[in-house]
Amino acid sequence: MKSERFRVLGTVTRRKDGIGKITGREQYVTDISLPRMLHGRILSSPYAHARIKSIDVSAAEALGAVCITWDDIPKVRYNERIVTVPWALHQDHYVLADKVRRMGEAVAAVAAETEALAEQAVRAIKVEYELLPVITDPVTAMQPGAPAIYDEVLLGDEPVKIERNIACTREIEEGDVDKAFAEADVIIERTYKTPKIYHSQMETKSVVCRPEPDGGITVWPTTQSIHNVRILLGRIFGIPLSKVNVKRVPIGGTFGSSIQMNPPIPIGVALALKARRPVKLTLTREEDMHDHTRYPTQIHLKLAAKRDGTLLGAEMELLADIGAHNIQAYSFLGVTIGWLVSLYRIPNVRYRGTAVYTNKAPSCAMQGFGNPQVTFAVETLMDELAETLGMDPLASKIKNYVGMGDTFWGQGPMVRSVVQSDGVQELLHQGAAWIGWQDRPKSGSQTGRYRRGIGLARGFHTSSAGAPQPGDVIDFSGALVKVNQDGSVDVVTALMDHGGGTLEAVAKLVAEALDMPLEKVDIAPAETMSTVYDVVTHATRGVYAGGGAAVKVAGQIRQEIIDTAARFLNVMPEALTIEYDPEVDQGVVFSRSIPDRRMTIGEIATRCWTNSWKTIAAVDSYRPVNCPPAYVTTFVEVEVDTWTGQVRTLRAALGSDCGTVINPDMAAGQLEGGLSKGMGFALYENNDWDVAGQLLSKGYLVDGKTPAIMEMPKPEDIGVYFAHTCEPSGPFGAKGIGEAATNPVAGAFANAIHNAIGVRFYELPITPEKILAAVRRKTDAVREKGESQAGGEPEKGLVGTGGELQ
Amino acid sequence: MQPKVITLKVNGRRHAVASMPNVTLLYALRDLGYTDVKNGCEKGDCGACAVLLNGKAVNSCLVLAWQADGAEIVTNAGLGTLDRPHPLQAAFADTGAIQCGYCTPGMLISAKALLDATPHPSDGEIREALSGNLCRCTGYDHIIEAVQLAAERMGE
Repeated sequence: MKSERFRVLGTVTRRKDGIGKITGREQYVTDISLPRMLHGRILSSPYAHARIKSIDVSAAEALGAVCITWDDIPKVRYNERIVTVPWALHQDHYVLADKVRRMGEAVAAVAAETEALAEQAVRAIKVEYELLPVITDPVTAMQPGAPAIYDEVLLGDEPVKIERNIACTREIEEGDVDKAFAEADVIIERTYKTPKIYHSQMETKSVVCRPEPDGGITVWPTTQSIHNVRILLGRIFGIPLSKVNVKRVPIGGTFGSSIQMNPPIPIGVALALKARRPVKLTLTREEDMHDHTRYPTQIHLKLAAKRDGTLLGAEMELLADIGAHNIQAYSFLGVTIGWLVSLYRIPNVRYRGTAVYTNKAPSCAMQGFGNPQVTFAVETLMDELAETLGMDPLASKIKNYVGMGDTFWGQGPMVRSVVQSDGVQELLHQGAAWIGWQDRPKSGSQTGRYRRGIGLARGFHTSSAGAPQPGDVIDFSGALVKVNQDGSVDVVTALMDHGGGTLEAVAKLVAEALDMPLEKVDIAPAETMSTVYDVVTHATRGVYAGGGAAVKVAGQIRQEIIDTAARFLNVMPEALTIEYDPEVDQGVVFSRSIPDRRMTIGEIATRCWTNSWKTIAAVDSYRPVNCPPAYVTTFVEVEVDTWTGQVRTLRAALGSDCGTVINPDMAAGQLEGGLSKGMGFALYENNDWDVAGQLLSKGYLVDGKTPAIMEMPKPEDIGVYFAHTCEPSGPFGAKGIGEAATNPVAGAFANAIHNAIGVRFYELPITPEKILAAVRRKTDAVREKGESQAGGEPEKGLVGTGGELQ
Repeated sequence: MQPKVITLKVNGRRHAVASMPNVTLLYALRDLGYTDVKNGCEKGDCGACAVLLNGKAVNSCLVLAWQADGAEIVTNAGLGTLDRPHPLQAAFADTGAIQCGYCTPGMLISAKALLDATPHPSDGEIREALSGNLCRCTGYDHIIEAVQLAAERMGE
């Protein structure tokens, strides 16, 4: 595949890290071994809520293990995710637990010569617990008199009391909501529930830490942000950042679970500092499953519309079960209202969000940060509204969507910008044609065992959290680019690549910007000591913000190459240009009017060296002042087996407006991965807890129901396509893609199932049990009404209540 | 518990290892430096630790090292070299079948076992062969395409 607009961008190439990954040479954190390295193990709490009365490590120490408990750790309270500015950050966490608030919480840890000895030592530790009542249900947790999971946490540096386990709330209102609802022709409202699913990244969280002779530490962690890990470790352990070096290591998937600093990292550091030897600490799968999940939500959504489908207003109430720690609840409550008002133009909106502690795994961002949850609610309610009004859902989306020129809340109320590129209608029309939208069956019209349906949902994600003014979300990046003595280029960036090809995209952007071949541009290994700050690869910002930084710096390098060549060629810099010359396979600097005065970039770089002059290099930071929407649409066709309740995915059309497509095959991979994860969220996955706070899956991925290969449609039954847009604020017109890919998927499935069997579902996952129960209720209802009416008009109110035309 | 000296023949090299009876083949291989054998779950759920044991794909986390005494073991790193990757490995890189790469070694082993027995597999046969390997990144379809492409190239 070759792009018409660009030389490097949009071309399929074999990714630079591909050879290492296919031949088993790629080294992840757990693959790192250092001389004299000890192996760590965590003593995890077997209880979900308990006070630690005593810990006896003498038997473990007798085995030769180094042990740490509450007494050994710095008494610094922190929040493991420092994307929010410090003064708006809730801090409730220590390196080891003062009191156990979830199953699997780290109570103590050991380091020993072998993994087997560490395991033996951790089992030898004796802990006396005082059991406390366990709360797993967020509504129960808010009742007066419910047992307190926290008495007090810090907000910034200030202690704040926690009442009724409510971690924080947010209320936002814009426009005149009461008037909008009073003037509406139709009002529709529903309550939705989404589950607490697990990230299921293939690599569990891990760290290797080496104490250095100067009192510093070198750390190899699983993380999405080497710089934020560094800042946190420096603060907790009281080490100047100049002595904390955090290395970038390839990560085996993350999906948001390592935006925060994962627990093994500070525990591994504490062990290494006490042992004065390198330590490796890796979570078991079960420990990992107790450590992070998507935010489960209960969303009550109410829409007001005119008879022609124009939306007038909305009310949304959201309850988030945040589990045992507040990782980012305040920003979560802010972004979720942003997802609603950025999907559709809703001039009048009232929102109340509540975040509640429970004795379960901490909830955190998971591909979409609340967007899959809210988009599921909005897109199924929009489908139902269109049905109530007798409209084509596609037409109602086109009528109301937030597009070109509209204001868009990228990441909550403080991150607003104006949409400058918009491929929504192209995506909708192309997907509709591919899947046969106009020929879909009439909802609920089918009889027989197997019933097919087509569903549509659209969505978006913000590319970065950039905004014109600084807000409470930190978002900026940086890059260092240098031209080596042979003309090859090093790109030094702290950006993480989670596997989606972010760094490949950065290499391509720099190659394009410098008129160099991709083979001569490489991404340097990164560590905090020799890179400038990048906040974190999250918020679909890797290419847009991290790539934006690299392109900004490459522009400076380009100018320096011209200025340098001007000296060598004795031509005014204004008269010089750079162009890629296929004859010499690199950029050439020349003057159009004096064709014989020309030098390749390689010659210029070599001459800078042999003249004992300089390295052509530049470093800079980059703050995105926009956060453009990466739009997506998902059309799916499903087949529902009304005897077993099973849903088979037959076909899917996945459309993305990511602006300029940089890595076409990897962008397609994001969409297909998004389909798989969205399908899991819609149909299968639920990380259930029992009332004692025990994980029912007991750490088995198959019981959490991570989608496998059998569930995916055939490659030829998936249509992937991209809008022809160019984002003016993005690097060479690019926006993000990653998180957007999953956001609409669950809504598309719910709408497709409704199209097939005429039943709406308001709670995920839509399991076979729920489908069978609904089919049975529907059959019974039809039987009561008499066989003659079966298969007629779509029936409403079978699950929940119907919309009312007023 | 007493260790026993066992012989593991890995990617053509013989290793004599003093191994305890409760050590899995996964740990024995990783301790020998075969870190391409990935530890994903230690429960047989994910397939990241798959190796060929006498030609058959197994989850090395579910095999005790003693059970592999004397057996021929092939890990992903043994399928091809950096200069000459196995056609399956090359196809994974050429079709976008790799993202984070953590499931890749196990996927490649399962695919190798499939192509050894069935050089021209159907879509259904590929899915069945890879049904024990989880991947959270790709949505699997590029992986199916990679196996198809490798089968085509190897048949030429």
